[in-house]
Amino acid sequence: MQQFTVHKIGPEIKIAGIDLSFTNASLFMVISAVLISFFLFLGTREKKIIPDKIQLITEMLYNFVAKMISDTAGSKAKPYFPFIFSLFMFVLLCNMVGMLPYSFTVTSHIIVTLIMALFIFVAVTIIGFVKHGFKYLSIFVPSGVPAILLPLITVIEIISYLSRPVSLSVRLFANMMAGHTMLKVFGGFVVSLGILGGWLPLSFSVALTGLEILVAFLQAYVFAILTCIYLNDALNLHH
Amino acid sequence: MKRYLSLIIGFFVIKTNLFAAEAGMPQLDPTYWASQAFWLILVFAILYLSISKLYLPKIKGNLDDRENKIKEDLDNANKFKENSEAKIKEYATILENAKREVAKIHLESKNNLNKDIQSKKQVMEKEIEREIFKAQKEIIELKKSSIASIQNISINVASNIIEDISGDKLNESSIKATVDEVSKKNMGKYL
Repeated sequence: MQQFTVHKIGPEIKIAGIDLSFTNASLFMVISAVLISFFLFLGTREKKIIPDKIQLITEMLYNFVAKMISDTAGSKAKPYFPFIFSLFMFVLLCNMVGMLPYSFTVTSHIIVTLIMALFIFVAVTIIGFVKHGFKYLSIFVPSGVPAILLPLITVIEIISYLSRPVSLSVRLFANMMAGHTMLKVFGGFVVSLGILGGWLPLSFSVALTGLEILVAFLQAYVFAILTCIYLNDALNLHH
Repeated sequence: MKRYLSLIIGFFVIKTNLFAAEAGMPQLDPTYWASQAFWLILVFAILYLSISKLYLPKIKGNLDDRENKIKEDLDNANKFKENSEAKIKEYATILENAKREVAKIHLESKNNLNKDIQSKKQVMEKEIEREIFKAQKEIIELKKSSIASIQNISINVASNIIEDISGDKLNESSIKATVDEVSKKNMGKYL
């Protein structure tokens, strides 16, 4: 579990008695953000009618996220496109950078994913109330449900709505942590079983690394698409 | 299968005592939660601002430019196509007209030529007729004159022969009368 420990880098920064020191987690957030910026900078440096490779990749990412949003949340979600795009890129890069040996996986910390999920939850709720007023509460009362079941369903809906930030954050955090822990465990087996027996866990490690890269992409995608779905609920009120 | 795998893994973990020193989850240690939250918000805010204000408009602009360019090119291509189709139609009508003209000219010239030939032929025929008539007249005259000269020659010849044979000169007019008589008798034989 040593790979998940957070430690201070540089001097201690304390603001109003709260420790806000720059840590290895902060460092890898900055690295991910810088990588995204650098990549997008390279991709948008030249405006070519016929794109080169890196421009093509940025345009594919743009279209990928744009399609994801328009498919799940419709055209009303266009103003939130930059946020979803940033969110997707940030989670994806944090996951991917975490796959490098000796690196730190920012998204394997519950506090990071929880803050992102809470922000999305609060923002979506505010958007819902701003767009629809108190009618937004009708999201808890699905239409076409028998009157007897309605109290039960409403309670379930409220619970499921409130558990959104928890499920969203825990899904990402647990996936990343579990994957890295598995890799660590199999790596430990390689060492403990030595040169004779270590080959099997080593091959497992290699396979798991491939799987983890898939999971890293998939979780970023799931995180972004769930955000789109929540946004869709807030924008298009037709439960 | 999964359960057995996790059991085996758990067994190995306990047996080898690999992680005893690292027990517990660092994620649940709240020491740096505030720091992580602070840096996350800071980094993500900067990233969001740079992406939304700087990079996405550029990508979108470029994509729109390309779409517009493609649309423009397609429109131009369509325009050119229409133009070329109109030109082809124009060309076809011109060709049609020209063909008609050619046929007309051909017919006209053929008629003209026929007329010309006819008239020339008539003129020629008349001329030939005239010539033939003239020649016939000449021949007749020539015949007449030749008969007269033949008569003279025959008179001379006859008088000379008679003179040579009999030795005396005969009256010229009587010889002439005789020759005339003979020639009249035999004229049909020679002419």
